[in-house]
Amino acid sequence: MPELGTPALVYAIAALIVPFIRHNTLRQVFLLAVPVFGLLVFWQLPYGTYGNINLMNMHVGLMRLDALSYVFGLIFSLAAFLSLLYAWHVRDTIQQVATLLYAGAGIGAVFAADLVTLFVFWEGTAIASVFLIWARRTEGAYATGMRYLIIQVGSGVILLAGIILYYRETGTIAFSQMELGSPATWAIFLAFGIKCAFPLLHNWLQDAYPAATITGTVTLSAFTTKLAVYALARGFPGTELLIYIGVTMTLFPVFFAAIENNLRRVLAYSLNNQLGFMVVGVGIGTPLALNGTVAHAFCHILYKALLFMSVGAVMYRTGTSKASELGGLYKSMPLTMIFCIVGAMSISAFPLFSGFISKSLILSASADTGYFFVWLALVVASVGVLEHSGIKIPYFTFFAHDAGHRVKEAPFHMLLAMGITAALCVGLGVFPSLLYGILPYEVEYTPYTTTHVVTQLQLLLFAGLAFAVLMRTGLYPAEFRSVNLDFDWVYRRMLPAIVGGIRHAVTSTWRFAARVTLHRVDRMMIGIYRAHGPQGPLARTWPTGSMVLWIAVLLGMTLVLTYI
Amino acid sequence: MTPPVSEDRKDMPLIARLLSGVDKPRNVTRIFYVLIAFCVALGLADFLYHKHSYFEVEDYPLVYGIFGFVVYGAVIFIAKGLRLIVRRPEDYYEPLATDTEDERAAGSDADATGGRPNA
Repeated sequence: MPELGTPALVYAIAALIVPFIRHNTLRQVFLLAVPVFGLLVFWQLPYGTYGNINLMNMHVGLMRLDALSYVFGLIFSLAAFLSLLYAWHVRDTIQQVATLLYAGAGIGAVFAADLVTLFVFWEGTAIASVFLIWARRTEGAYATGMRYLIIQVGSGVILLAGIILYYRETGTIAFSQMELGSPATWAIFLAFGIKCAFPLLHNWLQDAYPAATITGTVTLSAFTTKLAVYALARGFPGTELLIYIGVTMTLFPVFFAAIENNLRRVLAYSLNNQLGFMVVGVGIGTPLALNGTVAHAFCHILYKALLFMSVGAVMYRTGTSKASELGGLYKSMPLTMIFCIVGAMSISAFPLFSGFISKSLILSASADTGYFFVWLALVVASVGVLEHSGIKIPYFTFFAHDAGHRVKEAPFHMLLAMGITAALCVGLGVFPSLLYGILPYEVEYTPYTTTHVVTQLQLLLFAGLAFAVLMRTGLYPAEFRSVNLDFDWVYRRMLPAIVGGIRHAVTSTWRFAARVTLHRVDRMMIGIYRAHGPQGPLARTWPTGSMVLWIAVLLGMTLVLTYI
Repeated sequence: MTPPVSEDRKDMPLIARLLSGVDKPRNVTRIFYVLIAFCVALGLADFLYHKHSYFEVEDYPLVYGIFGFVVYGAVIFIAKGLRLIVRRPEDYYEPLATDTEDERAAGSDADATGGRPNA
């Protein structure tokens, strides 16, 4: 391959060509070739920085290839390929172009060697991805997309502010490890945090992902948040604050996921919870923990895509993704069911599935460094993962009560995409060395020890037993058509209500003041009119005699007063 | 009342036919007992090997199993409590949300019937 500087360029050029390919199959083949060529740009290159430009005395590096960016570049390329394969049936040029630009921007961002390049691609992911939500072409999707765009672009603007301050402070724009402390690094940290769905900054994720198209959600699930995890791992490894942020992230989505009806939103909460594990890894910051974060991001992209794909395939055939409307689909879509269960077992970290070999790195790292309560919280969160992603998703979709959908199995290309992803999930679980070999740090780690396998199986199967007991006793919460309030209520309801209230108060006060003033002015005008008007006493014509009389009275009084 | 199962089954894919009846109450009970058997076996397994633990609390036999069972129950009950506070009708955020819109707009197959097929 000629040296292109960045694989993002391949995606950008392809996005320009796609609309001009009229033949459907040709276009799909072309789309699938893009991630392959993108991968070839950096596949064989030795580590180093490429695409170096000197811009106004600032050093811009388009592609920094090292152990960390390589893994993310690899998994992003793979995710782009799998989501494009899954979307083989889509004939919407806007979605195709948006997918290419979005994946390209994501890959461009992880290779950025400097903060300005990072910013450009950071905003690129925001702007390209919103079209995957708008592609639904409904009023609700438009509003949701707008909320998503405001928050994502907001993250970019805060990042830019941070970069400018950082440049003034240090005189460099190189993207390397930073220390929290100055306004510059706090702004950059906050920008990363918004995209990483930190607690209270997280609702764009649960709001936007279920609103995107079936294929769009699969694409969205891979890039934005994992780019943020990469940025944190690059910029703030070992920042203790991240441990506590991460722990919170693993815990609170569990409860929301348990009562959510929309299965794609359940998966969005689950995504948030998985990001928590990665953020804890970054916060601990030891080589084992960072390896855990990278490995978990790698495995997570695959099994999360697989889960979104299987729920998406169900949605494609039945037209709904709500737990209250689904059930009994194992009769019609058994292959999709099997792939969904592979995804569910991977995310729940069953031995021989990918989640097991990546999550254990983070758990071991937290135990190694002596963070007992962090470790305990992560074990609690692991049970939570089993609840919402391991059991709830497959159970309510494919088993539970039969909702009566009699549909065809998912189309072949969807089955193929799910099959490849499922094979990767199992493959990584069975042969962990495949993944461990490309992690950024050299670490000797054996996931398959008797203790680890037995304790993990105990944890999961006893939790499964709890589910069975709760189902049999009727205590498990039923699924209803409903929405649950989360922090987004603050900006979707409370702030608009406060602004509305202030507007109402100002308008009322103004009206009241205007009414009172006008009333007073009217009264005054009437008074003046009464005195000075044509009939007023002051306008009357007085007889000369009475005037003389009054002057005489006046003079008489003056005379009397003078002599007193 | 029994549905015409045999007729229905012919149209099912092979794997579905192999699995059919898995959701019958009798089979669900069987699966439940198999799960209990697995749990008992795993509990006994704790006595058969030397545990390599990071923290003291891990050394008690069955601690992971009991922990998993209790935490699972706790998660469900806390979530049920949370639902009392946060649950709202589906059209709460209308019209600026996709919650009550026809989900087929997200790119479903032309044959998809959408939610509530039995309604």
